[in-house]
Amino acid sequence: MQLPRIQSLHRLPLANNQHRASTSWSKPCVFLDRCLCAVLILISLFFAYPSSVNAEEAEGNPYLAQLINQAVQLQLADEREWHLLLHYRPNLFGGYTSEADDPQFFLSPLGRTDSHAELEGTIQSLFSEEPVGSSKQPAQCSFIARYHWLKERLAIDESKLPAVDCERFELWFNELNAESITLIFASAYLNNPASMFGHTFLRIDQKGQTEQTRLLAYTINYAAEVPPDEGALYPIKGIFGGFKGYFSTPPYYLKVQEYRDIENRDIWEYPLNFTEVQVRRLLEHAWELGSAYFDYFFFKENCSYHILSLLEYADPTLHLTDRFHVWTVPADTVRLVAAQPGLVKGTMYRPSRRTVIQRKRERLSVEEHRLFVDITEHVGSIKQETFVRLPIQRQALILDVTSDYLRYRSETDKSHSSVYKEQNRAVLATRSALRIPTEDVKIDPFSKQPDLGHGTSRASVGAGWRNNDTFEELSIRAGYHDLLDPEIGHTQDAQVEIASVSVRHYNRAEQTRVERATLANILSLSPMDALSHGPSWKINAGMNTIRFGSCQLCSNGVLNGGIGAAVESHWLKREVVFAFAEAEANYSRGYEEDHRVGGGGTVGLLADLTDRWKLMASGTYLRYALGDKSDDFRWFIGQRYTVSQNWALRLEYNHRDHDNDGVFSVQAFF
Amino acid sequence: MSKGLIVVPIVAVLLVAQVGVALASGTSDLGPGCGLGKVAWEGSRIDTNTVGAQLLISTTNNTILPWQAFGITTGIFGCKNNGKVWAEEKTNMFAAINFENLSQEMAQGQGEHLASLATLMGVPAEHQAEFFAMTQDRYTSLVKAGEASPVAMVKAINSAIATHPVLAQASTR
Repeated sequence: MQLPRIQSLHRLPLANNQHRASTSWSKPCVFLDRCLCAVLILISLFFAYPSSVNAEEAEGNPYLAQLINQAVQLQLADEREWHLLLHYRPNLFGGYTSEADDPQFFLSPLGRTDSHAELEGTIQSLFSEEPVGSSKQPAQCSFIARYHWLKERLAIDESKLPAVDCERFELWFNELNAESITLIFASAYLNNPASMFGHTFLRIDQKGQTEQTRLLAYTINYAAEVPPDEGALYPIKGIFGGFKGYFSTPPYYLKVQEYRDIENRDIWEYPLNFTEVQVRRLLEHAWELGSAYFDYFFFKENCSYHILSLLEYADPTLHLTDRFHVWTVPADTVRLVAAQPGLVKGTMYRPSRRTVIQRKRERLSVEEHRLFVDITEHVGSIKQETFVRLPIQRQALILDVTSDYLRYRSETDKSHSSVYKEQNRAVLATRSALRIPTEDVKIDPFSKQPDLGHGTSRASVGAGWRNNDTFEELSIRAGYHDLLDPEIGHTQDAQVEIASVSVRHYNRAEQTRVERATLANILSLSPMDALSHGPSWKINAGMNTIRFGSCQLCSNGVLNGGIGAAVESHWLKREVVFAFAEAEANYSRGYEEDHRVGGGGTVGLLADLTDRWKLMASGTYLRYALGDKSDDFRWFIGQRYTVSQNWALRLEYNHRDHDNDGVFSVQAFF
Repeated sequence: MSKGLIVVPIVAVLLVAQVGVALASGTSDLGPGCGLGKVAWEGSRIDTNTVGAQLLISTTNNTILPWQAFGITTGIFGCKNNGKVWAEEKTNMFAAINFENLSQEMAQGQGEHLASLATLMGVPAEHQAEFFAMTQDRYTSLVKAGEASPVAMVKAINSAIATHPVLAQASTR
């Protein structure tokens, strides 16, 4: 953790000794000005400086002394750009601490908590060609963005402080061949907890790049380095900073393969309006960060957070990272970036393979679809007369979607991967013999772009009745999206609720109580058809309030998990019918032995009645065999009406044995 | 089969690239800027044996490649001034990693992976259509070569370009 100021002062003499030994850092006045008043700052500037520990260093090199003096007078160490370069954040003690956790990122031993010491350490290091930083280059190269910023702000004279040739940086920079920057959002993927909220990274668009060759551009990606054998501690360490996060520059084609082909996630691209100078600043800063690590915190200091910090350095007038305090949700960062006037040039959509298959299937006639299914099951069906008789363009379309499907299967059903690949080869051989190119078809997304989606957090105000009482209710949910929330911009049929609490006041009982609380409530529906067979699943941990036996309003702990199936239909607009087999454990003083454990099932329906109006209905039967031997039949009907991007209305009705509960609420997302 | 088939050539390509770089640079003072990084080469963080293992592991976990392979100051690219060797390695790596996409797009007579490969191989944009038609025409033999090794596929495409009436003239390589 960061050093409190008192400790810094304690360390002062020690640091001075260190200086004598290593001649590599800073002077005491810098500390004083951080804890004392402005007068003392001035005193330290004009009087303390000549006697500072840098004196001997500076005597040897008057230009160094001059530059440091200039920097102090200009108060560069307090400037926003310097803070952005070093990733300083206000700490609890009124000072600043850098978010960088790699000691080699700093050129003063106190640099992590002392922007002034770091500034001087940096200026001093610029005079040396000794390799510094974990990338082991001269300071001017390792920390090339800092160097260029100081060079400009201090008008550094190259005849007095010669520029070092940064060959490695130049090679890297030339290879990137950067023209512009695009923010990329890979949508949520529920089957990997680390991807539940999506992912963002930057693409460095190349000069001369076309829409077809975007794949060759490099990207800037920030991710935790997780050892392959991490196992059970993985989530804990991921949340609490147990892993180191690094920046890297994989080519875009690798990222596309990962998200689009393997994980079947839609990708959204947001080209940004940066000038050439801003692009260069971003890359120079990325180069500096490339050799440092940051402790990775899943919720806040994650991929999206650090990507924002790069954008901020590119254009320091942007204030992005300071909008996030507790968590940084990728979709929120996309919304924030999209909301900056003039920053985003447009939006481009790159469908996942799954989306491509679904959309192409919609274009097939019933007969063509039957042929498609036949061929996926038995490649020999290509020779069927009904297929051969089709116009050549239709044959091509059927074979293209067949090939997409076989590739999808070879990724999702690993144990039969080789079978699917072999089938695909046969299909493609036939396809190549048709000798016509595939027509470009526009693939529409199933859910719209993330910047149109509702905010991550939700607050609700509601009122209703329960049995023979009435109540008012306040709810707040940290994140993220439930099945009834407005679906625009969110992955279809995917619910992730984290940390929510509802407080109710019952008027007749004159009781105010925590009605419900949710730790996590995650539900993934994967509609099945002849070709997709993925299971649906859910898991819920939280508490609610029940009426049970003689207990009128009883807190009840709930742990529930289930696996099931879903089917999609289009009678009205779009409906999903689902069924789960599930197990549940309850803990409440209302029960005999205070608990009950059992199993059962749920069936339900999710229906879009109009673009704004959604309905959900479900019924559950559970039989508890352990603890309080009892059973439970409950059903639920809920409706939502979307008022605007961040406003919605809900009407919900819950029924349990002798317990009826209706609530109307207004919900705001932020 | 799954990823294994892809990964082995990737590892091969990366290691070849690395050796090529080490030989070509002839100096040990480049620092970690080349061929999976000198860090990797020197084995302080990873050694060449574990690079292969890590690629395999991370690929089966769908994370594709470890960060070290594309670390900013430790990455595999930008190692050489003399762009020729690196351009070749880049093409081979692209073909290895995108073999499945490429074979699909060759059969379909178009696609962005194929267009990107054409660019890497020096086919100007205005002659992409000929390139697409040529790879569709030779789909079976190219994929057969590619199944043996992506490098062989790139070679086969190169010789097809060399004998193509239009592409041979147009290609910048």
